[in-house]
Amino acid sequence: MISFRKVNKWFGPLHVLRDIDLEIDKSEVAVICGPSGSGKSTLIRCINRLESIRSGELYVDGIPVHDKKTNLINLRAEVGFVFQQFNLYPHMTVLDNVTLAPVKVRKMSSAQARKIGGELLEKVGIHEKADSYPAQLSGGQQQRVAIARGLAMQPKIMLFDEPTSALDPEMINEVLEVMIQLAKDGMTMIVVTHEMGFAREVGHKVIFMDEGQIVETAPPDEFFDHCKRERTRLFLSKILTH
Amino acid sequence: MWGTYLENLIESLPFFLKGLWVTVQVSALSLIISTLGGFLLGIIRSTRIRTVNIALAAYVDVIRGTPFLVQIFIVFFILPEWGIQLEAFTSAVLSLSIYGTAYICEIVYGGVVSIPKGQTEAAISGGLTWPQQMRYVIVPQALRPILPPLVGQYVLLIKDTAVVSVIGLTDVTRVGWFTVQRIPEGILVFGLVGLLYFFICYPLVWLSNRLETRLTTEKSTL
Repeated sequence: MISFRKVNKWFGPLHVLRDIDLEIDKSEVAVICGPSGSGKSTLIRCINRLESIRSGELYVDGIPVHDKKTNLINLRAEVGFVFQQFNLYPHMTVLDNVTLAPVKVRKMSSAQARKIGGELLEKVGIHEKADSYPAQLSGGQQQRVAIARGLAMQPKIMLFDEPTSALDPEMINEVLEVMIQLAKDGMTMIVVTHEMGFAREVGHKVIFMDEGQIVETAPPDEFFDHCKRERTRLFLSKILTH
Repeated sequence: MWGTYLENLIESLPFFLKGLWVTVQVSALSLIISTLGGFLLGIIRSTRIRTVNIALAAYVDVIRGTPFLVQIFIVFFILPEWGIQLEAFTSAVLSLSIYGTAYICEIVYGGVVSIPKGQTEAAISGGLTWPQQMRYVIVPQALRPILPPLVGQYVLLIKDTAVVSVIGLTDVTRVGWFTVQRIPEGILVFGLVGLLYFFICYPLVWLSNRLETRLTTEKSTL
């Protein structure tokens, strides 16, 4: 479903992605972790070309993302993206946030978009806030709206860029529960996070990145209990001790 | 003395109102054109496409760096030498629009780029095209920072229309010039001219202040 082949990217002199090779299958849930600045956010931002790659090939659902001629609108419609800072549209109600793209991009009728939007808000447990504005919601509620907004395009892939990092601790679980349900429903997901409980419960593979490289990829049990690389062990000891 | 002057002034009041009507027409037309032009160019400028940006920055700098009086002279006196003959009214509206567009372009540009990048990224990720991103996500949010200085700019533009009297357009300022030749009490004549401008501008000054206060109080409650 997603295929990185020898992908490289620079920010000026900084080599942020080095020879990335990665395959993600349909309905697979991949969790990416690693220290800050290791390139994990950049990696998933390349998938819907919020960032463009310098060399290598990147196919998403058969679409060549590395090719400058590719029509990105079609690609982006198939890929939902959830940001660390939610990035809801503050001037629109919760429901309008969810229905904007389906109406404008998918050319769905307003009535149908609102129906689907309402169902999605119900699914993320926030139906009663449909007519509120984002500023009236807690962080956890905002992030759940952001997930519903991504799902409204009925995407084939959902990308999560540190979805719980900006949340107060007591709100992390309500967001993770939504994501776990999504994973169980068979969504193809790539999640940049340090929530290792999530990785263990629904992850199919855990990817550890450092300095722009994929250091180690393994199924969760193997990753946490028998990781092969010293760097991975060092990182895990730092994030798992507290 | 003052009584007869006042009488004369009241007699020439229809003349003043006629001049005021010209001022209002020139102002309204150039405000509309400047607003449309300024929004268009300001939004285009926010893309930061190199060549376009250099051209627009040059235009804005030239207009902001030269007196409006010189600009209107160029339009009215120099363009005809190149075969472009314009009436005084058209010249006035054209030069005011070129002038106003430059300032409004900068106001709109500043407002648009003040919207956090995450908003654009969210819109991009939803699959919205660039015009859709601007129309539904960015510009509606940018209106908040844009409106107070925009209305302020309107006031400046209306007052700058006084300059069009130099190319022979009988606006309210030029009516003042004519009248003062018959009624030598200048304070009375130009006091009236000033008052007429004030009547048009003050509601906008008030509106601008109100928008400004609303914006700052909203910010502090966030």
